[in-house]
Amino acid sequence: MDILFLLIPISVVFVLLIMVVFWWALNSGQFDHLDGEGERILKDDG
Amino acid sequence: MEGHRGALQVREDFRSLDDADEQAEFTTQANAEGVCESRLVVQGMHCAACADAVEAAIGKQPGVVGAQVNAATRRVTVTWNRSQTNASAWAQAAAHIGYRLLPAQAASRQDLVVGEQRMALWRLFVAGFCAMQVMMYSWPLYIADPGTISPDIERLLRWASWWLSLPVLLFASTPFFASAWRDLKQGRVGMDFPVSVGILVTFAVSTAATYDPTGPWGQDIWFDSLTMLVFFLLGGRYLEAKARVRTAGALDALLTRLPESCERQDADGHWARVSARRLQVGDVVRLQAGQSFPGDGVLLSDGATVDEALLTGEALPVEHVQGDTLIAGSRNLRGWVVLRITAMGQATRFAQIVALMERAMTEKPRLAVLADRVAGPFLLVVLVIAAMVAAYWWGEDPTRALSSAVAVLIVTCPCALSLATPAAMLSATGALARQGVLVQRVQALESLTRVDTVVFDKTGTLTSEQPQLIHVFTRTGVNAEQAMANAAQLAHGSAHPLSQALVSLSPTLQRLAWSTWTELPGRGVEASDADGSVWRLGALAWCGADIPEDYPQAVHVGLSDAGGWLATFVFDEALRQDAKETVQTLRSGGWDVRMLSGDHGGAVSKVAARLGIDSYDSAVTPEGKTQAIERWQAQGHRVLMVGDGLNDAPVLSQADVSVALGSGAALAQSQADVIIQSGRLTDLLVLRSAATRSASVVRQNLTWALSYNVVAVPLAATGWMPPWVAGLGMACSSLVVVLNALRLRQLR
Repeated sequence: MDILFLLIPISVVFVLLIMVVFWWALNSGQFDHLDGEGERILKDDG
Repeated sequence: MEGHRGALQVREDFRSLDDADEQAEFTTQANAEGVCESRLVVQGMHCAACADAVEAAIGKQPGVVGAQVNAATRRVTVTWNRSQTNASAWAQAAAHIGYRLLPAQAASRQDLVVGEQRMALWRLFVAGFCAMQVMMYSWPLYIADPGTISPDIERLLRWASWWLSLPVLLFASTPFFASAWRDLKQGRVGMDFPVSVGILVTFAVSTAATYDPTGPWGQDIWFDSLTMLVFFLLGGRYLEAKARVRTAGALDALLTRLPESCERQDADGHWARVSARRLQVGDVVRLQAGQSFPGDGVLLSDGATVDEALLTGEALPVEHVQGDTLIAGSRNLRGWVVLRITAMGQATRFAQIVALMERAMTEKPRLAVLADRVAGPFLLVVLVIAAMVAAYWWGEDPTRALSSAVAVLIVTCPCALSLATPAAMLSATGALARQGVLVQRVQALESLTRVDTVVFDKTGTLTSEQPQLIHVFTRTGVNAEQAMANAAQLAHGSAHPLSQALVSLSPTLQRLAWSTWTELPGRGVEASDADGSVWRLGALAWCGADIPEDYPQAVHVGLSDAGGWLATFVFDEALRQDAKETVQTLRSGGWDVRMLSGDHGGAVSKVAARLGIDSYDSAVTPEGKTQAIERWQAQGHRVLMVGDGLNDAPVLSQADVSVALGSGAALAQSQADVIIQSGRLTDLLVLRSAATRSASVVRQNLTWALSYNVVAVPLAATGWMPPWVAGLGMACSSLVVVLNALRLRQLR
């Protein structure tokens, strides 16, 4: 089970990385207009 | 998207949007090619497809590069080229399909809301993701038989949990700490205090257990409880904030107004339209009927009839003579008025009314205020109980002491109790706002459930705002169109509903320059043209005509010229289409329906007969209406008054609940409790059912919040509840309250 000594720290790093990616996505405005996105498919020219 | 319309009838020309000063408030600087960006609020949106309709209509205009509408906040961003088109042009495009655009005041406030929403989502994500991962690390520790996990691995898992709890503590929990600290500085114990204490204590003890397992703090870790607790709490608040932003957006869209503009005389005597903001002391300005005075001033015209009800409460118009002082905010009722400005400033009606509305919007209904007051001492009691529980268990079983104390702290948080009423009210007012019914005083929703009598005004409320022309009699040799054209030219500038009806029947007419023009109360308009001949439009006898035999009961307007009587226009009041259905449904719901009108007996009894209203009174003055309502209230009735909101201000405030009906920007001046923008009487029924349903939801919420606390506290105190269950329970109780309130979003 020694591999856990590598895997668990890696998982911690991964979580931190994912948070960085989410931070980027949030800041680039991807989560700003969540309302109405679902209805985009109904638009005639959409 | 062809044919999709907004909810409003928009008649403004939006020329005030072209004024450079005004435009600078909501438009960015133009770049080298003249392209700039304007941000405005959209009124009249009532469904998801409206955003597309507005975007399409504005985007098609020549000179417009693009338009984007945010459906949640009801704001549109228009990118357009200054050198190719005017703001009024594309604003009119939206107006044609039923949406009114208004400059977004405080555009920077909008940016702040977006920033806050992003932070809230960020914290939620951090808490959620870390909670998931920490739970994964804790799982083996829960299910493994004792001794099967080697101490090294166990230390590793704890270490990893500690690392991932750090972001939750440092990032995600900061709102709780900040709010608890703010309350503490004011000497109060707020809702976030027990939560903050719970989080900090849990983290401290778990850290000690991780890095010093043989120390006095024991060796149990609580990282999973900690992170999940924060996640659930943040989840509840995020949903609540989203609902609040949506409602605020809807209400915001209904409260912003067009900038005031009026005509100012410049040095060589010409009149130019300018924004009210640009006026200075000493300017000579000209206002037509229906406009409000932008500042205090001295009357330069011969006379003026002014409505000062909004300021003095005096419902009857006040007659002023040349040289009198006119007050900012009062309304010109008759003809053109010229005045010289003597004072401008913050004492404008707009600032006053906005202040009034903002205060009304933040007023909490009684039940909510009660709940808030109970929360404070309740929390102190909770802290004491938690300390006692900790002390008790410390003697018996120290680890249980900590977990029980923390569980008590968390589970007794009265957030469900505090949320019970506001969540329901917010949800109901938001749903109503989307329908076009603006609830300005939230207390009104509560009061509506106790109302048993509804009183209608007649003109403009039960009858449609414009009288209908049903016949024209003319002198031999004159045709009807000619007569109507002459009448329209005379009627221009008069605020009387019949004059406005005549003007709207000939909309494309050029304004004729009369050499004199006066409006005489009780008689009508008298004017003389370039040749000196005298024209009259008004009372039949005054124009030399008799009441036509065929229409004895209708409303008559006569027209005469130099040669005597020229024409008679016969008008009838049209009932609103939904008036009968509304009256019947209100009555079948157990309400008494009555009518009070200032109009004469014949017209009133005719309307009452058609609608089936038994209790009505005619020729009632505004004071008489107020007294009638007082009488009924003294008899124990609770009265709802429905009027047009403009001249009935004192009457409306006497009633228990007041509703103003109609459409148009002038409605924003109304001080009624509820404004029905759509002009549909059936929205009264919607309002009534929304009030009843929200009252029952509030009762359900309060019952749930109280029972939850009563059941959960003993469980927590006796150690049956680990902290993470406490957190889950607390968040769930808040979520139940919020979800129950969300049922009100659908107006049945």
